[in-house]
Amino acid sequence: MEEKPKAVLVIGGGIAGIQAALDLGDMGMKVHLVERKPSIGGRMAQLDKTFPTNDCSICILAPKLADCFRHPNITLHTLSEVKNVTGQMGDFSVKLLEYARFVDEEKCVNCGDCVAKCPVKVPDEFDMELRKREAIYPYYLQGVPAVMTIDRENCLYLTRGVCRICEKFCTSEAIDFEQKDADAMLNVGAIIVATGFDPYDPSGIPQYGYKRYRNVIISLEYERLICASGPTGGHLTRPSDNRPAERIAFVQCVGSRDFKNNPYCSSVCCMHATKEAMLAREHNPKVKSCIFYIDLRAAGKGFQEYVARGEQEYNISYIRGRVAKITEDRDENPIVWYEETQSSKTNKMTVDLAVLATSLMPRRDVKELAKVLGVELDEYNFFKTDPLNPLDTTRPGIFVCGCCREPTDIPESVAQASGAAERAAETVMR
Amino acid sequence: MEETKTFKDLTKEVIERGICGKCGGCISFCSAGELNALEMGENDLPRYINEDNCQKCGICYLICPQTDTLNAELQEKFGWKPPTGYYQRITSAQTTNKEIMTVCTDGGVVTSLLSYLMERNLINGAVVSKKIGRFARKAIIARTPGELIEAAGSAFSGSLHLEELGGKYTTYTPILSTVKSLEKSYLRDIAVVGTPCQINAIRKMQCLGVLPAHLIKYTIGLFCIENFSFDDFARGRLEKKLDINLEDIVKLNIKDDFIITLTNGVAIHVPLEEIHEVARPACFTCHDFSNEYADISVGGLGSPDGYTTTVLRTKVGAAVYDETLRKGYIRERTFEDVEESRLDKARMLAKIVSFARMKRMRAKERLLELTGGEAIGRKA
Repeated sequence: MEEKPKAVLVIGGGIAGIQAALDLGDMGMKVHLVERKPSIGGRMAQLDKTFPTNDCSICILAPKLADCFRHPNITLHTLSEVKNVTGQMGDFSVKLLEYARFVDEEKCVNCGDCVAKCPVKVPDEFDMELRKREAIYPYYLQGVPAVMTIDRENCLYLTRGVCRICEKFCTSEAIDFEQKDADAMLNVGAIIVATGFDPYDPSGIPQYGYKRYRNVIISLEYERLICASGPTGGHLTRPSDNRPAERIAFVQCVGSRDFKNNPYCSSVCCMHATKEAMLAREHNPKVKSCIFYIDLRAAGKGFQEYVARGEQEYNISYIRGRVAKITEDRDENPIVWYEETQSSKTNKMTVDLAVLATSLMPRRDVKELAKVLGVELDEYNFFKTDPLNPLDTTRPGIFVCGCCREPTDIPESVAQASGAAERAAETVMR
Repeated sequence: MEETKTFKDLTKEVIERGICGKCGGCISFCSAGELNALEMGENDLPRYINEDNCQKCGICYLICPQTDTLNAELQEKFGWKPPTGYYQRITSAQTTNKEIMTVCTDGGVVTSLLSYLMERNLINGAVVSKKIGRFARKAIIARTPGELIEAAGSAFSGSLHLEELGGKYTTYTPILSTVKSLEKSYLRDIAVVGTPCQINAIRKMQCLGVLPAHLIKYTIGLFCIENFSFDDFARGRLEKKLDINLEDIVKLNIKDDFIITLTNGVAIHVPLEEIHEVARPACFTCHDFSNEYADISVGGLGSPDGYTTTVLRTKVGAAVYDETLRKGYIRERTFEDVEESRLDKARMLAKIVSFARMKRMRAKERLLELTGGEAIGRKA
């Protein structure tokens, strides 16, 4: 007698969660994909290109987003959080809190009339606060589901009872202020955690001057700046004066391999700095980039060749030496102070823009989720795994993949996701 | 939920009572949002262009400086305390730039602060008012330090305190015409120099987080007793009363009294009470003399000639002032000893407080006449 396959819960709608959900869905399993943001896509959607192929990130991600959305076996729960988990492997009861979007997903056609009329302006999280958005907004341009969301913290109707302008301009009658947050109960056989990372906040290293100097930015901000759908339309200009950035310093290991912060290696930064330097040069052949590194870690497939290409074809200088501090001259040009370890000489370099390769850290509130799931975290708050069961958490039936497990690049996240999907399927079909 | 108060209520409670300050806040919001329901009508009073366009959103009502709904929130946000609002420090300063010194009203601090902000790329433009005729002013966005000095030459020399002599409160309008281009680019910031009612409207907009106030990064507030509406009738009366020809006026200023400087160099001092009759009615219900919600408030009151009394209020304001000072754009008044400096600051503060008290008292009385003392739009 054949038993009907049970469902699997995937927490986190980034590339890892998406891949796991698709694999499971294709195996014929029912999947609930939970994402707390208004759209799935995660950090990968924020990136401009991916290494080592320089493929456009959203171009390779978007088909997967659409597949997830259309897949008969996958149910998307956006704007949702996992609040409680009971039961055991093979039979978990999961309580979800589904936040109201205040926009009817069935009716909204994503036309943008509401956005054009919304009078509220707040910093946009997806664009790393480099731009302002409205209180009704698409999470990002290619986001799935492709519908608007009302930001309850800033909507003037939800906070003060005035306005309702969007409602009056919506020709699809999709605005629904009557929506309420709702609990949902799911019964699943296995759970995959793929909650991803948050970047380290370099204000903790004051000598780099982040937030004090406007032309010192972090990598994720750089990704948005150089992205064609980003706040500058892809023009790499400095935040202080909108002048094109032509001399760029990439400062590696900011918060990583640092005993005051995160002792671990964030694993992706050597490569994304190389990629970012290549992109700058592709945008503007006058660009000269320098990457300040401790060790150049190019340990993935095709990575060493990628770095060689950077040096030879894109004129990137790799300078071995940890940056001691960053100061600023009168024109707000960052001055990078460093020791060149190959010659043991201290030196300084004036640039237009300094990009800090910030450490990848677990989500700030990951402890709460770990508590809900009843799993252990390691000393850095990544999900604890065993070397011989690298995708299993400490609780049977709950698996993990992607950057919430350890800092991981996209190809590796996808591989882990497929592995976690297989582990989950095995559990559910047993 | 109670009925949202809309422009109709604003018309009834503010405009028809004759206390609209013509700050243009409601219009700037409505047109920046492309709702296009409001326009500046006769006598610069806001009115419907097309009532059908009004979405009854109620935001114009909330941001009006004459309505009280958001005032408590503003007070909390800015740590307001009596009698003149929160401030960190009071100083007396002047510009170090000779060119600015020759055209400014008091010490040229405003122009210097704006020059610093512009030269350091902290702002992309500043909204200042520029004289376009003897009694007409127009708000412009100065985009370069040169344009700033050009505007200062007319705007600030005309009267730093008596901003908008002609009652042409178009301060916001130029923001609107450029708001689109500004919005498209990122990290665009501007500074605004304004009277207390204008700054109040901006702060209320920022409280709600609505456009176009999201572009305004710095606010410099002018001390303000009242503004004057020099229509033909008022002009005639004033000319007769003072026995002067208004065409001969080169400079207007308020310190302890109203000072009119004529082309022949003669300065006429007029007690403030005597010029109240040409003041705009809206000013009589205004509580705010020292621009209590600006980042930095400035005026001549309390400082000797050639210096600007400068009140540093917010953290942002104090930081900008300190940097402007450190970079040598301005210098502070020097004193022989600490005691003298302390005394002078106390005197300066006492003057501001006495003017603030007077204005608040006047507003209270006027509101009593108008509404029986009830604040406009305060929720029960």
